[in-house]
Amino acid sequence: MPDPANGEAVESTSRRRLLGLLGGGAAVSLAGCSDQEPSDGSDGNDTDGEDGTDGEDGEDEPQRTNADKAQAAWERAVNNPLPEDEELRQEAYIEMEEAVRDDAAVIPLYHSLTERFWYDYVDVPLTGALGSHWQQLNTTTVEGQSELNLIASTFDELDPIMSTDTESSRVITQIYENLTSFPNGVPEVENQLLAEYEVSEDGTTWTFTLRDDVQFHDGTQMTAQDVKYSWRRTVESENSERAGFTLNQPVGLGIDAETDDDGNVVADSLAIEVVDDRTIEIQLVGPNPDVLDVIAYSSFSVIPEGYVGDIDGYDGEVTHQEFSTEVANGTGPFELDAFNVDEDVTVVRNDDYYGEVASVEAVNWEIIEDSQAQWTYALEQNADIFEMPTFAYEADAVDAEADDRGRQVGTYGPAGELNEEVNYVGVAEISTYYFAFNVSNTERAARQAIAYVMNKEQIVQEVFAGRGTAAYTFLPPAIWPTGNDGYNDFLDAYPYSLGESDIQGAQSVLEEAGITPDDPVDVTLTTYESEVFQTAGELIRDLISGTGINMSLETSQFSTLQSRGEDGDLQMYSLGWIWSWPAVPYGMFQLEPRNTDTSTMPTETNGFYLDWQTLLEEEAE
Amino acid sequence: MSRWEYFVKRLLLTVPVLFSVLTFLFIMLRAGPIDPVAARLGPQAGAADREQLRERLGLNDPLWEQYVDFITDFITFNFGQSWVVQAERDILDIAVNAAPATLWLGFWAILLPLFIGIPLGFYAGLNPNTLGDYAASLGGIVWQALPNFWLCVIALAVLRRTREGGELLGINWYTLGPDFAARNISITGTPRLEWISTTDVLMFPLPYINDWTALAIDIKLILPPALILGSASMAAELRIGRTAMLETVNSKFVETAKAKGLSDRVIVWKHIFRNALIPLLPVITSEAFLLIGGSVIVEQIFNINGLGRIFFQALTQGDLPMAGALLFLFTVIILGLNILQDFLYTVIDPRVGYDQ
Repeated sequence: MPDPANGEAVESTSRRRLLGLLGGGAAVSLAGCSDQEPSDGSDGNDTDGEDGTDGEDGEDEPQRTNADKAQAAWERAVNNPLPEDEELRQEAYIEMEEAVRDDAAVIPLYHSLTERFWYDYVDVPLTGALGSHWQQLNTTTVEGQSELNLIASTFDELDPIMSTDTESSRVITQIYENLTSFPNGVPEVENQLLAEYEVSEDGTTWTFTLRDDVQFHDGTQMTAQDVKYSWRRTVESENSERAGFTLNQPVGLGIDAETDDDGNVVADSLAIEVVDDRTIEIQLVGPNPDVLDVIAYSSFSVIPEGYVGDIDGYDGEVTHQEFSTEVANGTGPFELDAFNVDEDVTVVRNDDYYGEVASVEAVNWEIIEDSQAQWTYALEQNADIFEMPTFAYEADAVDAEADDRGRQVGTYGPAGELNEEVNYVGVAEISTYYFAFNVSNTERAARQAIAYVMNKEQIVQEVFAGRGTAAYTFLPPAIWPTGNDGYNDFLDAYPYSLGESDIQGAQSVLEEAGITPDDPVDVTLTTYESEVFQTAGELIRDLISGTGINMSLETSQFSTLQSRGEDGDLQMYSLGWIWSWPAVPYGMFQLEPRNTDTSTMPTETNGFYLDWQTLLEEEAE
Repeated sequence: MSRWEYFVKRLLLTVPVLFSVLTFLFIMLRAGPIDPVAARLGPQAGAADREQLRERLGLNDPLWEQYVDFITDFITFNFGQSWVVQAERDILDIAVNAAPATLWLGFWAILLPLFIGIPLGFYAGLNPNTLGDYAASLGGIVWQALPNFWLCVIALAVLRRTREGGELLGINWYTLGPDFAARNISITGTPRLEWISTTDVLMFPLPYINDWTALAIDIKLILPPALILGSASMAAELRIGRTAMLETVNSKFVETAKAKGLSDRVIVWKHIFRNALIPLLPVITSEAFLLIGGSVIVEQIFNINGLGRIFFQALTQGDLPMAGALLFLFTVIILGLNILQDFLYTVIDPRVGYDQ
């Protein structure tokens, strides 16, 4: 019933939730599943791993393996976290990309493209690669209207520490603020509530000085105590879904804290010290180059001290249920007016805002899930800024040029039902959707052959009508460590097919490994319920048939796919990763070979389901 | 056995039905594949949290105690809280909040086919094998064959095109009646239903309509989805109405009535009409069942925040208590309609309940 565009949008929101869960650490697994796989390489990485890779071990044994290269690079990056080692880390991350590419352990498919359209009577800053939900709307003006009207999908909470989806972030960003932010979603961090900061020499003690002219919507002054309380909530409140972002490193800040026997954080043990009303000091477990990026994430939003009583020592002015949907008290340019769950949300202008006071009196989001209804609402000019469902989209109607950030900026239309020309911006998001392999049960030649035949441009064209960016690297171009030139160099050296299906290449790599149509190998591709990956899978299966790989396709539910991945019970699968902040390690940690060990997931390891550690030199022996 | 004894007997029979539904729900919730604790806490919770919640939800009590608690809770409409869809909100709150829109939609979806389908069917039955009969029957079959989701999409596409110059048969849907374009109202969305107030007449709260424009807006908003939602039953009513009419027209008592010299008007309205209505009754009441199922899609596409859409969300997101509570409510509604049907039978057809 939902058409493709909408289905994808919905999926990507829920996917983000689930991916976030994974990033946060633990996830459910089916106990004892490894017993069912007695002969496969999934549960033991000693002898079986060796068998599976015999084909190329003969050649590679003298050198270190790609897995070794990736492991060493990751360790180098993690062990050199100080600002002056920036270049060293960049090189290390690119080495990891090379290792992934050469081993074809992960084959990136596409980076999603967000396109935004707005009527001529609206003046809105261009949004960046992090997404429009980062945009504060105080700088948006609407000619001839006192309100700005937008569309959102469903969400059910406005508590920043519960928010894990882009939809609630759209509203939370207007009401609450952080010490830092990415204005308009452009991946360049700027101060928001922060005036200045200092870092100790070893990079573990950060001192933040706050602005002194910030008031909450109820008129009280924002102080360092409020920040401490808000950040304590992220780890101590039972409502928090983002404790990991506060406690973990490198996937988060890594603030020091005591934990009890159950692994819960002891009340008020988080290493945040209020120095004076305007200054706080945090103590990290280790140096972290991405602190300013991480604290821009919405869970670190500042709310008044004691507003909700869900942590020790506070009774709360409002109950948590009220706080999630009925009341709000932040420092942002808009105040919450009304939230009718599943119907609409309205925020009104904060006239005492310390920054630029909004030009519109109110912003209203109509909550619409269905793309037909969304499109109707947009055409009626009931939405001033909108996205376009694929059924209404005509690629020829876009007239845009790339700006210096690589965004396509221009106009769209008139086309189809849209009778007038509207403004247009297209941005490649910081997200990557990929195929990956459990390398312990799929040999390298087969993985590489699949990389050879995969024509990503064609897949993007067929499935999204061109509304996506073919991906050749796991790290999206917007955060490529060595910039645009470095990214292009990497593409030039890309060994598999760029924009074509190289069946010859696939055949020769298979022949070298002794795989022929007469002596084929079986590969099972498991996708979640996604039209994109299912179509891509069919294309690949058709192209690769007859070369020596028999590919079969299966679809499983998202949660089932995750559980099976953690059990090592997948061969080739599809998933995606969306960056919550534009830092390279927040993504790369999943490619550290030792972190891809499915036998210890999800408690000790939380990487991709690759079992890449089986190809480490020491493991293979 | 008199008609009323029969009716009371039917009424009593609903009690065991309700209990078996509740038992089924209990088994589904407690023994089903989804662990309530895991669904509620999510994967990151520690063992201590889980145990605490198990205790709080009473999952450590003996099974029979849980069963009794469950039944008493549901019968007293104490459904607890939603787990996922609108986490931690009272399910009854959510349902009460969403119900008016669905009732409004359902009301029109039953009313419209009733006043279009039945007259058309009767017309076709009274004039069999004429051009009018063929047109009505064929139209009915085609209309029934069109799937609701497709009709919804087409209806939206056609209606929104009438907005700027693209008038359909000279009609601009936006300015027809209450002007949507001038008020910036979308043709999709949830009806506000804010036109009703109550006034006390002799201590009795009496509802009255205080804002006729708002009423007109809500009717205009609901007409397209209601017409689509009722489309299947409209066609069914048309076809059964035609058959019933044909059968009755050709029965002996009509011949007798004619022989008695009654006027055509009396024959049709007093004798044929009432008898032809009997097979239509179950069709009309069982529509409610179809409407609950069908409203899921219609509410989704027309962006109406009603029970159907919430039920859909609860099912797809594994919100068991919410889905269970809504299922229970739907059961109660359907049982209620069955009773209404029996009641109407006893009124329309005096033969019902008499010993065979």
